[in-house]
Amino acid sequence: MKRLKGLPSKLWLILLLAFMYLPIIYVVIFSFNDSRSLTHFTGFSLEWYEKMLDNSTMMESIYYTVVIAIIATVVSTIVGTITAIGLSKSRRAMKETITQINNLPMLNPEIVTAIGLMLFFTALNMRLGFMTLLLAHIIFCIPYVILSIMPKLRQLDDNLFEAALDLGCTPFKALYKVIIPQIKPGIISGALIAFTMSFDDFVISYFVTGPGINNISTMVYTSVKRINPSVNALSTIIVLAITIILVIVNIVPMIKERKKKKNEELA
Amino acid sequence: MKNLLKIALVITFALALVGCGGDNTSSGDNEYGCEVLNVYNWGEYIGEDVISNFEDEFNVSVNYSLFDSNEAMYTKVLGGTHYDVLVPSDYMIERMIDEDLLQPIDKSVITNMDLLYEGTLNKPYDMDNTYSIPYFWGNVGIVYDKTIVDPSDVESQEWEVLRNPKYAGQIYMYDSERDSFMVALKALGYSMNTTNEDEINEAYDWLVELQQTMAPAYATDEAIDGLIYGEKAMGVMYSGDAAYILSENENMAFYAPEKMGTNYWNDAMVIPKNADCPGLANEFINYILTYEASYDNTITVGYASANAEVFEEMGAAGGYYEGNPAFTPRAQNEKDEVFSNNEEVRELISELWIKVKNS
Repeated sequence: MKRLKGLPSKLWLILLLAFMYLPIIYVVIFSFNDSRSLTHFTGFSLEWYEKMLDNSTMMESIYYTVVIAIIATVVSTIVGTITAIGLSKSRRAMKETITQINNLPMLNPEIVTAIGLMLFFTALNMRLGFMTLLLAHIIFCIPYVILSIMPKLRQLDDNLFEAALDLGCTPFKALYKVIIPQIKPGIISGALIAFTMSFDDFVISYFVTGPGINNISTMVYTSVKRINPSVNALSTIIVLAITIILVIVNIVPMIKERKKKKNEELA
Repeated sequence: MKNLLKIALVITFALALVGCGGDNTSSGDNEYGCEVLNVYNWGEYIGEDVISNFEDEFNVSVNYSLFDSNEAMYTKVLGGTHYDVLVPSDYMIERMIDEDLLQPIDKSVITNMDLLYEGTLNKPYDMDNTYSIPYFWGNVGIVYDKTIVDPSDVESQEWEVLRNPKYAGQIYMYDSERDSFMVALKALGYSMNTTNEDEINEAYDWLVELQQTMAPAYATDEAIDGLIYGEKAMGVMYSGDAAYILSENENMAFYAPEKMGTNYWNDAMVIPKNADCPGLANEFINYILTYEASYDNTITVGYASANAEVFEEMGAAGGYYEGNPAFTPRAQNEKDEVFSNNEEVRELISELWIKVKNS
């Protein structure tokens, strides 16, 4: 492939990045606004960060978002991985059917899932609240985990498992010593998707949550009546946190690699 | 690595358990039989310390949740979520009474009833306040820039000033079918609760003409910022929001059409039938009526209080909102009306409203 050179292609790239990042930068700038306005910058202040920290609803919503996202990720990753491995060992017809059924919730409009879940929980006489919110998040995360693990399992050599047994593994040992390490990239990407899905879900959360339990999206939505820049402050902190995590995720393996190379050179 | 995973798991489950703790209504042993009160209110609609003061005084905890529209609130309640106190608007209260979703207020607990401003009581949506106790109230009117718009134009033409070609391209129209049709119907001299289709169609034509000749910007809360910074010269506004605009930009004035009349609205506290803690809910409502709580609410939010003393003090000489006409709406103008609930008309005008905006 030819390398992209020249002004037009660079300009294109800059435009593309600007289009993606300008709205975020706009939000960040107005989080430092001196007045309540979201369209006129009148001066620099940290007032809205202070307001944000004082706002207990806001702080609680961060707590709930993170807790729900972590639990939903852990549970849906475990359930999804087990299901995917089980599916890969079952008959073809079964596998096809279940895969199709698994795809359905992802294609289904979220609002339908949301209202369905709300009515379902109510019909079961469950109190809408933390538990229903968590269950709903686990439910809508599982299909994504399965979807991202299935291709990895398909690539896997069927004989690997048997070879492991031949070499003296118990089935369970073979599972976590051979199969899981082989499909690890799929599990990790599934978990990441689950985490992001849960972290920024609005529609489903809005319907299945109960009194006093808000995640960040539902909290922001319900306070739009008279939006104030503390929402910007909150967004800025989230953007910052995500950037730091991304940097760490990308840099740590690089450092590890370099260390490895150095060690090899020494040896 | 394995240990790390284990620790993470333990932590998350521990957190989950903590989270669950606060989520159910625990049956307490105080006189109300419960220690948690679930309040469901509009976003940005309460004083900064009202909730915490109530919690301290009654030694209970309050789960405070927010909604952004009457309809969203209604869906949640119908969906089976248990709240103890709601703060819907007039027409929604009427609908909930009709559908038997509310329980009567226990007037023996509401000892502060006589603190209420008389103009907010016994309105058609709940004739003798059996189910509802007023929270905030106000009018809808026109906010305009005195330096651009001639006050005598506004006062003589009232709603028709929105169609005055002099000010084309300078107005914000309220982006909701209910409020826009209210403006049009009032301008034409009809009741805003009309069920007469001819009158509604006339209002539709009125709005289409406005759309075609005036090129208005349709906005709701975005208009607040726009008017504070003078991006447009005029806009249809709720009195509470108008009060805030006037306090930020001294060039702005507020006028609620008197001869044509306008919307008199009321948001009031109600207790749904499925409330877990009606006893405490009544206490909460009573607490909101006190001078301290009402004062805190009004100062923070800018809407007119239902507490008579607070309302009069704020607008009077030396008060926080002295000389701010938007803060002191009127409750007794013959031409003003309260919205009533009529689903058929609502559907019709929401269809027409889409057509207006696309015309």
